[in-house]
Amino acid sequence: MAKKNSDCQVIVVTSGKGGVGKTTAVANLSTGLAKQGYSVVVMDLDIGLKKLDLILGLENRVIYDIVQVIEGECTLRQALVKDKRFPELFMLPAAQTRNKDDITAEQVVEVCKELRPDFDFIFIDCPAGIEKGFQNAIAAADKAIVVTNPEVSAVRDADRIIGMLESADFRDIKLLVNRIRPDMVRRGDMLSIEDLIEHLCIELLGVVPEDSGVVISTNRGEPIILNDKSSAAQAFSNIVQRMQGIEVPFMTLQEDSFWGKLRRNLGFGR
Amino acid sequence: MFEFLKRIFSDGKPSSRSRANDRLRVVLTHDRVGSSAQLMETLQEEIIALIARHMEIDGTPEVRLISEGRHSALDISIPLKGR
Repeated sequence: MAKKNSDCQVIVVTSGKGGVGKTTAVANLSTGLAKQGYSVVVMDLDIGLKKLDLILGLENRVIYDIVQVIEGECTLRQALVKDKRFPELFMLPAAQTRNKDDITAEQVVEVCKELRPDFDFIFIDCPAGIEKGFQNAIAAADKAIVVTNPEVSAVRDADRIIGMLESADFRDIKLLVNRIRPDMVRRGDMLSIEDLIEHLCIELLGVVPEDSGVVISTNRGEPIILNDKSSAAQAFSNIVQRMQGIEVPFMTLQEDSFWGKLRRNLGFGR
Repeated sequence: MFEFLKRIFSDGKPSSRSRANDRLRVVLTHDRVGSSAQLMETLQEEIIALIARHMEIDGTPEVRLISEGRHSALDISIPLKGR
């Protein structure tokens, strides 16, 4: 394994509400960073309700899980699943038949400590909710990405999560808005990015538009970031750049015109 | 011109986006400090009663939560009668 940076960033991806796109974000950002040559590991901490293996298309390669690592049934190295596409990307699977109380926050911190020397980025896929699973997921992280949708219930939950992260002394909390529909915002039927920032008062990391391609890529087990024709892929790629410290302007969420769509589908750039 | 046309063709109701913003503003302010509309009413009654015991109130007193960024404050405005 070749690590690019001397330090390691441990990032928890969280939201409070379920179904807003945490796992999709983890899969795409980790794949994007691995594509840039970084050593990346993703930890699925949604114990009992695992999804990350499926989203990354690695479900058939799973042998051991994080609970077995913690209980000493296997080594951490043995449990890491290597990605099909990028040799620098690894996944530490969750256990499906166990639950959140089977591990402690201290044990997660220990696992991260063992991973830090070998990786540039460690992503922690946090379960929905604010209970034990959330506490376990944030314990080892240095920074947080809060994922939300432009929808009142998701925003309310995100606000609660941000409050809890601040109480836990997180200094670096960034917002990822997923599934925005520019056409609806323009009609006055959806909260805009500006609205979300006004309510949540945290720095924006990126905006991912609603894209039916995400469902299709999920069906295939291939993160959409690898399909450069899609708008969601472009959005995730921009976030990957920002995570490397490169300044990228936020996408102007113009609705696709007929000609724009045609041009893109024919492969004439974006 | 565009605004004018929009007004003619809209049904006069505020957009669902602005309703969402208004509702979120209230609910997030309450969530952050663990208050509720009910509690604000109680506070208003008690604060006014307390002040009224010592001074003469003139006009409509107001007790409300305001927020700046993620910080909240109780904004109490009680107009007093001069002598």
